[in-house]
Amino acid sequence: MKKMIEKLSNQRLFSKLFIVMTASIVAVCLLTSLITIRMSERLFAETFSITNAKVLKQINTSLDSFNDSIVNAASYASQSGTIKTFLTGGEMDSVSMSKVYYRMSEQMKQLTSNINAYDVAVTITGMNGRSYSTDRAYWPVTEEQLAAAPLTVNTAAHPQRLMYQYDERQNEGETERYIIASKALVERTSGQLYGMLYISIREREFKQFYSNFTSTGNDVLVLDASGAIVSSNRPELIGRSAPELLEEAKEIESKKLNYKNGSVMGKERIILSNYLPSYNFYLVNLIDRQYTAGQIIDVRSVSLTCLGIIAAAMLVVFVISRRLTDSLTRLVRQMSMIAQKDFGNYITVSGSYEVRELGKAFNYMLDELNDYIRRLLDTQREQRNAELAALQRQINPHFLYNTLASIKMLVQKGSKEMAAETINALISLLQNTISNVSETVTIEQELENMKNYVFINHVRYGERIKVNYFVAPDCLQYEVPKLIIQPFIENAFFHAFNEKNEGTIYILVSKNDDSLVCEVVDNGDGMELTGETGPLPNPKSRRQLFTGIGIQNVNNRIKLLYGEPYGVSISSNKGEGTKVRIVLPLIAKSDEAGDRI
Amino acid sequence: MKKRLLFALVSMLLMLAVSACSGNSGAKNTGGSSGSGKEITVWAWDPNFNIAALQLAKEKYEAKHPDVKVNIVEYAQNDIVQKLNTGLNSGTTKGLPNIVLIEDYRAQNFLQAYPDAFRDMSDVIKPADFAEYKIGPTSLDGKQYGVPFDSGATGLYVRTDYLKQAGFTVDDLTNIDWNRYIEIGKKVKEKTGKDMLTQDPNDLGLIRMMAQSAGTWYLKDDGKTPNLADNPVIKEALETYKALFDANIVKMNSDWSQFLAAINNGDVATVPTGNWITPSIKAEASQSGKWAVVPTPRLANSKESVNASSLGGSSWYVLNMDGQDTAANFLAETFGSDAELYSQMLDKVGVIGSLKAASSGDAYDKSDDFFNGQKIYADFAKWTEEVPKVNYGLHTYAIEDILVVEVQNYLNGKDVDSVIRDAQAQAESQLQ
Repeated sequence: MKKMIEKLSNQRLFSKLFIVMTASIVAVCLLTSLITIRMSERLFAETFSITNAKVLKQINTSLDSFNDSIVNAASYASQSGTIKTFLTGGEMDSVSMSKVYYRMSEQMKQLTSNINAYDVAVTITGMNGRSYSTDRAYWPVTEEQLAAAPLTVNTAAHPQRLMYQYDERQNEGETERYIIASKALVERTSGQLYGMLYISIREREFKQFYSNFTSTGNDVLVLDASGAIVSSNRPELIGRSAPELLEEAKEIESKKLNYKNGSVMGKERIILSNYLPSYNFYLVNLIDRQYTAGQIIDVRSVSLTCLGIIAAAMLVVFVISRRLTDSLTRLVRQMSMIAQKDFGNYITVSGSYEVRELGKAFNYMLDELNDYIRRLLDTQREQRNAELAALQRQINPHFLYNTLASIKMLVQKGSKEMAAETINALISLLQNTISNVSETVTIEQELENMKNYVFINHVRYGERIKVNYFVAPDCLQYEVPKLIIQPFIENAFFHAFNEKNEGTIYILVSKNDDSLVCEVVDNGDGMELTGETGPLPNPKSRRQLFTGIGIQNVNNRIKLLYGEPYGVSISSNKGEGTKVRIVLPLIAKSDEAGDRI
Repeated sequence: MKKRLLFALVSMLLMLAVSACSGNSGAKNTGGSSGSGKEITVWAWDPNFNIAALQLAKEKYEAKHPDVKVNIVEYAQNDIVQKLNTGLNSGTTKGLPNIVLIEDYRAQNFLQAYPDAFRDMSDVIKPADFAEYKIGPTSLDGKQYGVPFDSGATGLYVRTDYLKQAGFTVDDLTNIDWNRYIEIGKKVKEKTGKDMLTQDPNDLGLIRMMAQSAGTWYLKDDGKTPNLADNPVIKEALETYKALFDANIVKMNSDWSQFLAAINNGDVATVPTGNWITPSIKAEASQSGKWAVVPTPRLANSKESVNASSLGGSSWYVLNMDGQDTAANFLAETFGSDAELYSQMLDKVGVIGSLKAASSGDAYDKSDDFFNGQKIYADFAKWTEEVPKVNYGLHTYAIEDILVVEVQNYLNGKDVDSVIRDAQAQAESQLQ
């Protein structure tokens, strides 16, 4: 739990960075694609309407040439005397009739040569009931039907005009749609109507004029003047009335617009229109904005591409920011542990350049710090050493005075030999204490000093306190700090036997594992200790009898020299004696050891 | 190194995604409608006759072969000829049908003009199965290209009621010559006001009928040399034709539908033409019982002329293109061998076929109430056998086009010998 929270808080930088990056990438992607789509849609509408206007012009041209052919055929028919004769003449004998029919068919061949390029049929009816058709199956209409048809009536009402009208016929259950060009044939002088010319074209043929230009969403419709759709590439619309579209077409025509946007037949469309005066039709082009734009601008692929880019960018961002923040996080974690290991936590230098530099600087700082601390420690130790050395050299004048007084007593008593021995011990003791410059001495030397010191004390105070030495022979050559045991012997001499009058002090030196153990054990008064193995008790008397080094100093000194695991411990029981245990490292005798001071 | 690899991977993925997206739009409309079914298209004219017969064949074939779809398309004969010529001339079979009906007159022209355009049907039908007179026009160099269809045997369809009104019986018109026909026609016109027959001045079918009844043709037996100027039969046929017009017993028509209208409206008393007109005549049910069929009139002065002729029989051809085997199989199994189908066609449509195996049977002996109980099919079958054989050759219609113009000149007073001489000269210069 705690680990997770810690991990999360460690990732805070990364998540912030990642979220911000992701949000901005998504925003940029969305905005760019939206703007692109908008712009291309607008551009598309513009270009589409321009090209389609041209397309309409082209359709217009081909429709015009079709109309020209029709007009030629119509004027040929109206000027042909043979046709007039066929349509106006009465019944005659077979030979004359044969001539009339034959010449009629010749005339019709001439007439149709104008329009042979198109798949059309020509039908001519006369007021005398005769009719001629180039292909009756093409436009299957009987003469009676034709006479009554509104298109005939319309044509007769406007004899001067070539009219285009819509017609449909049922043929074997299927509706066939036609556009019929019709023209009344009129006697030029009298204005008498003598016949009717119909040129029929199937709507699906008529469609060919423009169907190449159409596609899904791009429709062409032909409207007649009443708003009825007479032809379209979409067959389901043919025959329907579309007045609203007619309005749009008229507006485009009157305002001379290039195109118009409008909602026609339930959809947003671009409307282009062209008036065909010869047909009295409106050629209308409808472009389904949404569909055609959708065809050109594939929103799906754009969004897929966007998603792809976003995903890729996120992956890259994830990886990069992860690397970046990871090294930072690691740096932070390492820095926060700086105090835990005596400034020994050096940082592994890795990651980006900045982080590496930071790590290097930090490590450099640690180096400096450690250097300072080391120097500080050195200084302190030197100072301490100096202090100890000074204390060590302070031989208590009382000790000399008392010892010399004891010697004088011996001389006066006449024990010359004893006096000489005492003087020797004193000389040896002083020599070792003052003159020996090396800080450490071997156990052997130290033992020598002990013995001299004990001898002098025995001379002065009598031999009621005995001293026994138990030194393991293999320990003799190990080095110990000078005068390290003496203070404890002194302590035992002068404080352990205040109640008891006599006793023994044991000095034991042995090797235990990797350390040297020196013990000073007495069977004297003993004392009450606050803890089981508490700190060293402060002796009542501050005054040291031999040198300035007190037992308190010994412990400090050992710890200063060798570290925490070493030192002095005391155990004591009231009335049973005291046991002082000094633990020291095993230091073999060497020349270097002496050079330290 | 690792980083670079990652980048390469990511960019590759990206490109893949982008290309996959853009690639999509293009390939939508692939995967066509190949389907396992076979489809063949047939072109023919005359819905009452050829198309009706085709429908029967199609039903029967499609029931047996559900994987084949037969599309029947109706065009006017002239359209078929024009489209076929256009298509074959351009050397492409695109837009052309698998099977097309061709009039026997034109068959040789097509077969010789476009030697590789049609499939040799020798492997699927036996020429010996068909009436002999159909084999000449439908084969070339010993290879049978066409599947013979209807007999063009002609008869004279007569309105018994009009004849009766003018004082004639059916027997009065049986086995007569054209001169007698004209005489009767004049009487009929006098009594009833109806014309004897209807003609399109652009179609000289009547002259062809007369020529074949005497065993001659526009072209000599080699099929190439025009045979007009020194051909007494042609001369007599033209004279007879003019006589009909001079007698003022001809009603004009300008096309097929007016032709039918004249018959069905009761404007004419007789129709001398091929038996394929039967269904069209029967189409006017109100005239049931008023019709009879008698043998074709013969030429009076030509000894060879018999009271039988032929007009406009046609045959089926398979175009050498994709689907030809299916088309060949369709023809072989229907028009090429199925006697049962022929009896159905006879019964329901009135088709007199040229498959020998189907040239007799119950259907032929059936009496027809429309024709007053006359066994017209048995009669036609009989006349079919009497039709003199001619070689239609290559240029029937080319010569007819020349003749149409000359005949008009003739009707308007040109001398008959100059007419046939001029026609001969024109034909020779054109057909060199």
